Amino acid sequence: MPTPIDEKTLKRLEELARIEIKSDAENKLLKDLQKILEYFEELKTIDTENVEPMAGGTVETNVFREDKPSDKRQTASDRLIEQFPEKENGFLKVPAVFENNNE
Amino acid sequence: MEINNLTIGKFHEGLLKKQFSAFEATEAFFNRIGEKDGEIGAYLRLTKDLAFSQAKKADADIAEGKKTGILAGVPLAIKDNILIEGEPATAASKILANYRAAYDATAVKKLKDGGAVFLGKTNMDEFAMGSSTENSAFKITKNPRDLERVPGGSSGGSAAAVAADMCVAALGSDTGGSIRQPAGFCGVVGLKPTYGSVSRHGLIAMASSLDQIGTLTKTVEDASILFKAIAGKDEMDATSVNYQSQVDYRPENVKKLKIGLPKEYFIEGTDKNVLAAINGAIENLKSLKMEFKEISLPRTKYALSCYYIIMPAEVSANLARFDGIRYSRITNHESRIMNLMDSYLKNRGEGFGKEVKRRIILGTFVLSSGYYDAYYAKAQKVRRLIKEDFDRAFEDVDAILTPVSPTTAFKIGEKTDDPLAMYLSDIFTIPVNLAGLPALSLPAKTDGLPVGFQLIGKPFREADILGIGRFFEESGRKS
Repeated sequence: MPTPIDEKTLKRLEELARIEIKSDAENKLLKDLQKILEYFEELKTIDTENVEPMAGGTVETNVFREDKPSDKRQTASDRLIEQFPEKENGFLKVPAVFENNNE
Repeated sequence: MEINNLTIGKFHEGLLKKQFSAFEATEAFFNRIGEKDGEIGAYLRLTKDLAFSQAKKADADIAEGKKTGILAGVPLAIKDNILIEGEPATAASKILANYRAAYDATAVKKLKDGGAVFLGKTNMDEFAMGSSTENSAFKITKNPRDLERVPGGSSGGSAAAVAADMCVAALGSDTGGSIRQPAGFCGVVGLKPTYGSVSRHGLIAMASSLDQIGTLTKTVEDASILFKAIAGKDEMDATSVNYQSQVDYRPENVKKLKIGLPKEYFIEGTDKNVLAAINGAIENLKSLKMEFKEISLPRTKYALSCYYIIMPAEVSANLARFDGIRYSRITNHESRIMNLMDSYLKNRGEGFGKEVKRRIILGTFVLSSGYYDAYYAKAQKVRRLIKEDFDRAFEDVDAILTPVSPTTAFKIGEKTDDPLAMYLSDIFTIPVNLAGLPALSLPAKTDGLPVGFQLIGKPFREADILGIGRFFEESGRKS
């Protein structure tokens, strides 16, 4: 059966995942992915009718804690802010989201 | 006296008898690292200032006659995806090259409170993705038992550091075998605890429903000590569970346990040397009057596919936070005009290594519209079936014995071009993570290239597998 990933799909995935793959590496990545997806074909042979999906490893349900700020967390977030590569007044500075139209 | 090869128990004894101070021991380990780590490459960074201040504190406590716990002054290594406040934590990725941990992982905090000494952060596959530690962005680690071979991975640095006596014991993390496989390859003991038994707070997340912090040690007894120290419920990890971990060793209880041998794990394609060593370990346990039973885990062969859908899906979500903006910046924004989208594409494209990118793309694919049901939802159902296999088996037996890996440590570079071949090296360890079970990897033989065997336990029954492991280990010491 034809594999569901082709060059066009890969380009779309790069965009969705926000990862640029260098053009000389794309071919190898595509081949690797196709080989892996081919391996997954075996899952088609297992009957999962009426099987409840298993979403996680935990045995716990509905774990609650009190919704109150903690000093410990404040200290940790201060330390994180300290490390931002670019910041202004305690805020993270990011590049422009939109193109500059004032050309 | 030789300090470097001591177990935790012997170290504690020596310290209390004043055969050495914690400071001297720490120096001895840094000397050993200075001599050996040039050729092995287990550590990414040493945390000398922290280590010596911790050692001085332990010595002062002993001098003052304060109650001294078993971990006081014990020099440990910590995998680089586990946070120690104020110290670098890169997860062996360029995208975290300049990051310093803002807080302690809960497991680290517990060890600190126990008085342990942290020597440094160990090398690993980038973000714990790999089975050989060759995917580190910074360097490769060599197997201390044969420098041409890989130490396994992703906790290869921790396993190598323990094997080469460059620490007493180490912490690692295990998502699909990342503690057990390197422990097997390097000839040390690796424990992957039950999902939820050790807090994951402060572990840089890879696949949150599979990740677990665990231990790499020289003996099973040390694994019990270290596990006991880090286990327990933590309000910072909602999946952590409160239970009484009974890990006290009682040989008379161990002898009552029945061990299952799943036929699906003793298959063609497994290296003859591995099978011979595993069979040797089984014979040894039989001669100790342990009872065995052949069992079946029929869905085993689907575990690899199931894992390589669920894990990348979780990876693609967890690693979204590494955007080149909040942590380290890879590309230089001043050099060209760039909008936010370009910045993401470039930073993530250049900041992540090949394997990490492969898994993020694969995870994005299996979660994408049109493919979600065929891959991700299907894999979640198969995961349930795999867990049910174990549930059924554990109605008959108390523990399950299998090989850890189909081969011994492979040569450096042997599998780097073929991801699928690399993935297959984890076929015996992956089902345990899918089912959330505890498992122990321990050396089946002591000569030649190491071979590990795996003991899988019921949920929260670390005591059973640690007990059988110790029973095996002590019988070997006597013979």
